[in-house]
Amino acid sequence: MASSYPPPFETPGEVKEGFLCPLCLKDLQSFYQLQDHYEEEHAGEDRHVRGQLKSLVQKAKKAKDKLLKRDGEERVDSGSYESFYYGGVDPYMWEPQELGATRSHLESFKKHRAARIDHYVIEVNKLIIRLEKLTSFDRMSTDAAKIRAIEKSVVSWVSDSDVPFCPDCGNKFNIRNRRHHCRLCGSIMCRKCMEFVPLPLAYKLTSGTREALCAPGSPGQSQSLPVGSSAPGSRRGSISSLSSVSSMLEEKDDDRVRCCRHCMDTLLRKQEKLEEKDHVPDVVKLYQRLRLCMDKVDEKAPEYIKMAESLNAGETTYNLEHTNGLRMEVQKYYELIDALSKKILTLGMKEEPPPRPKALQLQRMVRYTATLFVQEKLLGLMSLPTKEKYEELKEKRKQEQEKRLQQERQASLEAQKRRSDIEKSRAPPPNTNGEATQPPRPTMTKAGGWLPSSSVLHTRELQDPLLQQIDNIQSFIQQARTAQRTDELATLEENLRQLQDEYDQQQTSLAIQLSKKMAEEESLQQEQLHLLQEREERQAASTHTRTRSLDFREAQSAQDGEEEHAGQHVGSLGPTKAKVSPLSKTQSMKAFDHLPSREESPPAQRKRDEPLPRVAQERNDTTATSLNPFEEENSTPIEDDPFNPFAEEILKEHSQKEVSNGKKEYNPFEDEVVDGEEECAMGREEGSGNPFEEEEDEGNPFSEASDATPPAIRPGPSTNPFEEDGEPADEDIIEEELLLQQIDNIRAYIFDAKLSGRADEVELLSENLRDLQRTLQEQRRKTE
Amino acid sequence: MNVTLAVKQYISKMIENSGPGMKVLLMDKETTSIVSVVYTQSEILQKEVYLFERIDSQNRDAMKHLKAICFHHCLLENVENLIQELRRPKYSVYFIYFSNVISKSEVKTLAEADEQEVVAEVQEFYGDFIAVNPHLFSLNLTGVARGRSWEPTLLPRCTQGLTSVLLALKKCPMVRYQLSSQMAKRLGESVKQIITKEYELFDFRKTEVPPLLLILDRSDDALTPLLNQWTYQAMVHELLGLNNNRIDLSRVPGISKDLREVVLSAENDEFYANNLYLNFGEIGTNIKNLMEDFQKKKPKAQQKLESISDMKAFVDNYPQFKKMSGTVSKHVTVVGELSRLVSDRQLMEVSEVEQELASQNDHSSANQNVRRLLQNPKVSELDAVRLVMLYALRYEKHSSSNLPGLMEDLNRKGVSERHRKMVQSMVEYGGKRVRGSDLVTPTDAVAITKQFFKGLKGVENVYTQHQPLLQETLDQLIKGRLKDSQFPYLGPSTLRDRPQDIIVFIIGGATYEEALTVYNLNRTTPGVRIVLGGTTIHNTKSFLEEVTSAASSGHSGERSHVVGRHPSRR
Repeated sequence: MASSYPPPFETPGEVKEGFLCPLCLKDLQSFYQLQDHYEEEHAGEDRHVRGQLKSLVQKAKKAKDKLLKRDGEERVDSGSYESFYYGGVDPYMWEPQELGATRSHLESFKKHRAARIDHYVIEVNKLIIRLEKLTSFDRMSTDAAKIRAIEKSVVSWVSDSDVPFCPDCGNKFNIRNRRHHCRLCGSIMCRKCMEFVPLPLAYKLTSGTREALCAPGSPGQSQSLPVGSSAPGSRRGSISSLSSVSSMLEEKDDDRVRCCRHCMDTLLRKQEKLEEKDHVPDVVKLYQRLRLCMDKVDEKAPEYIKMAESLNAGETTYNLEHTNGLRMEVQKYYELIDALSKKILTLGMKEEPPPRPKALQLQRMVRYTATLFVQEKLLGLMSLPTKEKYEELKEKRKQEQEKRLQQERQASLEAQKRRSDIEKSRAPPPNTNGEATQPPRPTMTKAGGWLPSSSVLHTRELQDPLLQQIDNIQSFIQQARTAQRTDELATLEENLRQLQDEYDQQQTSLAIQLSKKMAEEESLQQEQLHLLQEREERQAASTHTRTRSLDFREAQSAQDGEEEHAGQHVGSLGPTKAKVSPLSKTQSMKAFDHLPSREESPPAQRKRDEPLPRVAQERNDTTATSLNPFEEENSTPIEDDPFNPFAEEILKEHSQKEVSNGKKEYNPFEDEVVDGEEECAMGREEGSGNPFEEEEDEGNPFSEASDATPPAIRPGPSTNPFEEDGEPADEDIIEEELLLQQIDNIRAYIFDAKLSGRADEVELLSENLRDLQRTLQEQRRKTE
Repeated sequence: MNVTLAVKQYISKMIENSGPGMKVLLMDKETTSIVSVVYTQSEILQKEVYLFERIDSQNRDAMKHLKAICFHHCLLENVENLIQELRRPKYSVYFIYFSNVISKSEVKTLAEADEQEVVAEVQEFYGDFIAVNPHLFSLNLTGVARGRSWEPTLLPRCTQGLTSVLLALKKCPMVRYQLSSQMAKRLGESVKQIITKEYELFDFRKTEVPPLLLILDRSDDALTPLLNQWTYQAMVHELLGLNNNRIDLSRVPGISKDLREVVLSAENDEFYANNLYLNFGEIGTNIKNLMEDFQKKKPKAQQKLESISDMKAFVDNYPQFKKMSGTVSKHVTVVGELSRLVSDRQLMEVSEVEQELASQNDHSSANQNVRRLLQNPKVSELDAVRLVMLYALRYEKHSSSNLPGLMEDLNRKGVSERHRKMVQSMVEYGGKRVRGSDLVTPTDAVAITKQFFKGLKGVENVYTQHQPLLQETLDQLIKGRLKDSQFPYLGPSTLRDRPQDIIVFIIGGATYEEALTVYNLNRTTPGVRIVLGGTTIHNTKSFLEEVTSAASSGHSGERSHVVGRHPSRR
């Protein structure tokens, strides 16, 4: 099924079981016929889509989708077709939506309430005013009858005869169940339903009103009030004892005002409200402070994180000390949050009576939230580098920036080089492999730069003062760029350009000479190429299977050691495998066997590849029969040996190409060796004078860039070994800092674990803590 | 169209409206589940809501330093409780939200009760449904049917719930209903009536293609809720019972205390979110990976964290580790329990036969298999009954139907009479006589082609062969081919284009298998968004109860009150 899937859409003739019209079951031969049929026969049946221009297209699509889906189902053994065909959106991914519909009733609510409130407020105020009247005289010294008269004058009492039953409990009034009047509203109730307003409450309630009423007009009066309101309190004891006596007499209320349940309710509510007005519970005070701290953290923490990130990346935007200060500040807030929430948690625990369960629950919840908050945020708080570390980071970053800059530059350079390469390789026998040279590039970039930059500079100093100058300027540019001085940057760049122009000119003259030699070389190569081709054809005739070549590889890997050593010569010359070098004869023979068998790649590549080693070898022969390129390169001035680097470069390309072609499958180890050697070769070569760049100068006006390349390659990786050396030195100090931080953190965890009662974790953590502390002490001792 | 998000937005808006300060959330029975499904406690705590109270709870203390956010269903009892609350306010300020439309008179009585002027806000926020998944909602109403018509008290509730979904999603839809169901028509009309009455509310920005509300009846597809399920969510519901995304594991042997009840919410459980729709086998693998992950991260008690980097790694992983340990033990427990049940009840075998019954057409082999399983002593009563029910629904009118024989087998197996009676109720509920569209033997050509393809491709997974009828219905709807004769529009206007936003509502309850179908349709169909809802979300057990209550209340008006109303109050 799977294999028959694609063709039906291209070859209409093929019969497929699936091409049934979904509506009439007619068997149609192909998708297109089905589509046609569908459109013709059933177009009318689709009511909703009919009449629309796009309907035809849609239907076709539908039919197609159907088939596709079905095919998918057949093809995919496991799972449903969704894994194969996604068109819709996962409901979890649906785009955000606006808030759903809402409707407010607040307006009408307020309207209704206002009507009610007016009424209610008036009622309450009336009660208060009456209460004030009832309590404004000295009840103690007034006799009962007089009190009664005053009380009666405040509000008109309902006449007894109108109320035969108690309106609240419904009991009938009689001699034993007497009527009582509410002194505040004048209504009647029985004794059971009667309430009393104690004088202190009355004073409290009325004082507010009096103050409000009188404060603006008569300050004298309002001043007298506190006396009035405090007086009853002080006298309370005697009064209550008195009242218990007087209550026996039932008629004299010298310390209280009789009222009905309803008035009492109203008064109590009023009182509650008064109390709330100025009373702020402790929990609220603490909570407000807690929120304040949380807000501060919310505000500062992101700021700090931004700064810390920047510092940890070695940037210089922020000041380390300042950031450290901020860190301390944020940590302070955390401590404060912790302390405050703990306080809230234990609030009122020791008091009598203990807080109500809901209040406790609230306190627990606040504490819990605070802990969550601290946990979540505190962990996001990254540590800061120490001063030393920071310096190091800054350095590192600078280097990285340089590296990046140079890499960018190199990238553009590479593109040009590639172009010139292609041009060049076109000059020798037609090279169909123009693109093939590309893949190796990245490897080269990676491989390059293993030398520390300082040493590069040294070699360069010897090489060419001009180049050195250029290099200096480039580093200035870098610095200017990091410091973001655009104006300086511009001038520097101008300088650089001039220098490079000059250098170019120098190089071009050299290059002209070189190109002449090149031309000779090329003709030589061509000859050899022919030779090779013939040989290869013969080789190809004797077929080598993959398995065999595999064997060869294995055998060869055993010789890797040898190769490694041998490989030093001519950078392994990956292509040497193609044959040649007498030393590695056995090996290269095998490789040669291997090559054709593997090679389905265009012969053109070989054409290009093989002559080159030849050249190299020849050169070897001609120069000094020295088989070790190390010596050779060191001894021979490179400018005198123009084709060597060239060859080598292409060789490298070739070998890398091989790597990418599939050698890896067989023996990755060898690749490494080759790579490594290449690196050696490359580094050495470039370090000692960048021979190929000179070559490239011909016809490449931008070649100045190519000399920027080598340094670009180097500094990056070079920092690594450097760093490794440097690090151990300040390791101790850093660790101490880290240790302290860790200890802090662990303490926080222990605290948290304790809080949530995970004893095992606490144990584990405290053990860790102890360990850490021990380590810390040891280290301190050591450093001292 | 994301119902979860809709409710979440409502709630966070409520909290936002009340400003800073400590808050208490006052809810009632209905709204408690609505809120708890979409928010976890810690999420809400972060919004300064520290207490959660039921308005009807008696032991609330007055805490004047708290602001109260009241979210209530507009039931009369809630309004009365609220009035009492306002007369004697326990908190400083009240922000009142109703989950549905309330009457003007209720607003007035409330206003008159607010003598202390503590109310700062009165609004309608239409979150009157349980948002189970982004595309799935439930109204938590059971026992909605009385015979073939509505339980009278539940039609208004159901209408309210459905309209609140429309309002929350801001959709003013065209309504289509299943012609064969009287209940669907009633509900459709009732919804339409509300839309007309509250036209101001439903005045949303017009979309090019109007949204569509499709009302279906469970009785049209009684097969789906009877099947054992194999995707995680559905399976958990079928075997353990998911109630507002919570599972009760207290019956699991040897369960630890803090796992008695676990919450499975895709919102904040990554593992669950990723595995919701995967089948049991895949979950097994994923659990294993999760365990391995956990093992890797777990600091062994003996393991000394020797180096600084060990330490650091541990500290860094600590919060995740804590979170993870919760997730791991939860899912390991759940999956462990599932697999215990699967092997105990021989569900693999049972399910295979169920699937064969539901999606293939081979009477004699079906008959044989059912009989064979009925002999098996390990097959539970519920599974035995469901097999016979499936058989009954499937081969009701088959010439050689062996239903009496199977009933006899059930009897011999010792299945209770209550359960045996259910078979008859089931046939009455979802039998051929009732069904509008044909559930099993497809008659129209498209379906036959489909069947044909199914046959061709062979069976990938015996346990998931069955596709609910909803798949077919929605597929046709999306393609604009759903027959008007079977699913007429309410009102004169019809949809000319293919629908884009679809809300499907199943009277009598949806299932998680259907939720999965809708989920997949959403994912695979460009430009279409489908939300599924039901009066409840069924597993087999709850479905059987629903059917029984419908049947019994259909027979005698007396019992209907008892049976019909009782579950509705849940």
